Amino acid sequence: MEENFIFAGFGGQGVLLAGKILANAFMLEGKNVTWYPCYGAEMRGGTVNCEIVVSNSEVSAVHKKETDFAIVLNQLSFDKFISRVKAGGTIIANSSLVKTLKPRSDIKYVFAPITEMAQKLGEIKTANIISLGVLAAACHQLTSESLQKALEFVLPAHRKHLLPLNLEALKLGVESLAAV
Amino acid sequence: MVKELIKGNYAIAQAALNAGCECYFGYPITPQTEIGEYLSLKMPAAGLAYVSAESEVAAINMVLGACSTGARAMTTSSSCAVSLMQETLSYAASDELPVVLVNVMRAGPGLGSIYPAQGDYYQSVYGGGNGDYRMVVFAPSNVQECIELTYKTFYVAHKYRTPVILLADGLLGQMMEPAEFTEYPYPPVDNSSWALSGANGREGRKICSYGPDEQKHIQHVKDLFEKYKLISEREVMFEEFMTDDAEFLLVGFGSLTRNLKAAVKSLRNKGIKAGMFRPITLFPFPEKRLFELAGQCREVMTVEMNMGQMYTDVRLAVNGKTKVSLFNPRPAGEWLSVEEITAAVEKSMEKVYAGI
Repeated sequence: MEENFIFAGFGGQGVLLAGKILANAFMLEGKNVTWYPCYGAEMRGGTVNCEIVVSNSEVSAVHKKETDFAIVLNQLSFDKFISRVKAGGTIIANSSLVKTLKPRSDIKYVFAPITEMAQKLGEIKTANIISLGVLAAACHQLTSESLQKALEFVLPAHRKHLLPLNLEALKLGVESLAAV
Repeated sequence: MVKELIKGNYAIAQAALNAGCECYFGYPITPQTEIGEYLSLKMPAAGLAYVSAESEVAAINMVLGACSTGARAMTTSSSCAVSLMQETLSYAASDELPVVLVNVMRAGPGLGSIYPAQGDYYQSVYGGGNGDYRMVVFAPSNVQECIELTYKTFYVAHKYRTPVILLADGLLGQMMEPAEFTEYPYPPVDNSSWALSGANGREGRKICSYGPDEQKHIQHVKDLFEKYKLISEREVMFEEFMTDDAEFLLVGFGSLTRNLKAAVKSLRNKGIKAGMFRPITLFPFPEKRLFELAGQCREVMTVEMNMGQMYTDVRLAVNGKTKVSLFNPRPAGEWLSVEEITAAVEKSMEKVYAGI
C-alpha cells in the first residue's frame, strides 16, 4: 500500500524542507519512503514542488501521476496540482494566497490561512511547518508526534534554538483544523 | 548502523570517501553537482585532494594522472560532459588505470536537458573512445545501491586495473531515500608492482598506451580482452523479481526498474505471469541468465527511457529464443508510469496469445 504527497509553492516558502521533514517522520516510523524534488532553472519566487511516497514495502514509482494529498501554498500550485489529486483525495491550500474555490466535487478541501498564521506567530518562514501541522490533522497515516520527532532529528545542532518556535508552529497547524 | 534520509548524489559522495577515495577532480553540471559540493566540504578538511577543474577534459585527465600513481581517484559528471571525457577513457583502458567515473544521466543528445533519461547506455557500455576496449558499468536502482555499487566500482577498478563507470540518472541523483552506510567490504588491492610511486631504489617504470611494436601491440589488446573475459566470468550482477514461473519478462536497468517491479505485481494481481530481470552490470551483460529465462517466456519486453539501446544487448542475449519487444514511448522526462507499463504488457500479451 503506497500513499503519495505533493508539497508545492513558491521557491523560498520551504516546501522542499517540509517534504523532507515529512519523509523523515515516515522513516523514523520504520516505513519505506522517497522524496523527489521538481524544479526548473529557477530561483526564489519560482515554483517548486516535491513528491513523497510512503510504502510498507519498497517504494515503486518515485514520481506518480496521481496523489492522495496535495499541500499547496500559492495559487499557481493550486491551479497546477488540483487535477493530480486522486478522486477521494485531499487538497490542503494556503487560503492566505489561494482563492477558496472548489472546482472539483470528488475531492476534499482543507483551507487554512497558513501565511497569516505564520505572520501572527511572528515568523513568516514557519508557514511550511504550519502546513505540516495541518496535514497531520487531515491525514490518518500521520501523527504530530512523529513530525515533532522528525523536526528534532532534522534540525542541525547550530539550529536547535529554533526548535521551540517550530514546535509551536506545528501545534498551530494541527489546532487550526480542529477549529474549522 | 542507522538509516538516514539521503540524496543519491550525497550517498555516492560519502560512499566514495568510505571506499578510500583520495582525490576528486570535477566540474559542476546538473544533475550531479551535489557530489562535488559534498566532497568540497569533506575532502580538504580530511587532508584529501579536491580540485575544481577548469573543464571536464582537465578533470578526467587529472584522474588519469592520479591513478597512474596508484591513488584512488574519481570524477563525476553528466551525459554531455561525459562525452568530453571519452578520449581519456580509451587511454585509461589501454594504460590499465583504475579510473572511476560516475555519470548521473540527463537527457541528450547534445546539451539536451536536465530531465532524467537513460540515453547513455551505448556511450557507457560500448564507449565513445577509439579502439578496442570495454568498460565495466554498474547501474544502481535505489539510494542504497548507490552506496554499495560505489564501493564495488572502486574495488573492481583497482582489482582489474580498468576504468569503471557508475551509471546513475537524474532521478536517482536528486531523490532522497533512507539508506545505510554499510562498511566498505572489500580488501585493499596491492598496486606496488605497477604504480608510479617514485623510482628511488628500484628500476624506472612507465605507463604508456603507445607501442610502435606491432606484435606487442596486438598482444596488448588481446591481453586486455582476456581481462574483460575474466571480468565477464566473475563480476556479472543482476536482479530477478518473480521470474520463477514468469511467462512474460520485463527487462530494464537503473531506477526505472522500481516501476517495472510495481508493474509486475500489478500484472500478477490480474493473473498474468510476469517477471522482471534487471542487469546490474551493463557490462558484463548477464547474457547467460537472460538466455535461460528467455526459454520459459512467451515474450521478453525491454523497457527503457531512450530510443532502444539496451534492447540491442537483450536481443543478442535472447538470440532468437523467444520474441523480444521494446517499450520506449519517450526518451527523457517523466519516468514511465506503472500504469503505462502494465497497459503495454497487457496489449502485447493479447497479441502473443492470439498468435500474432
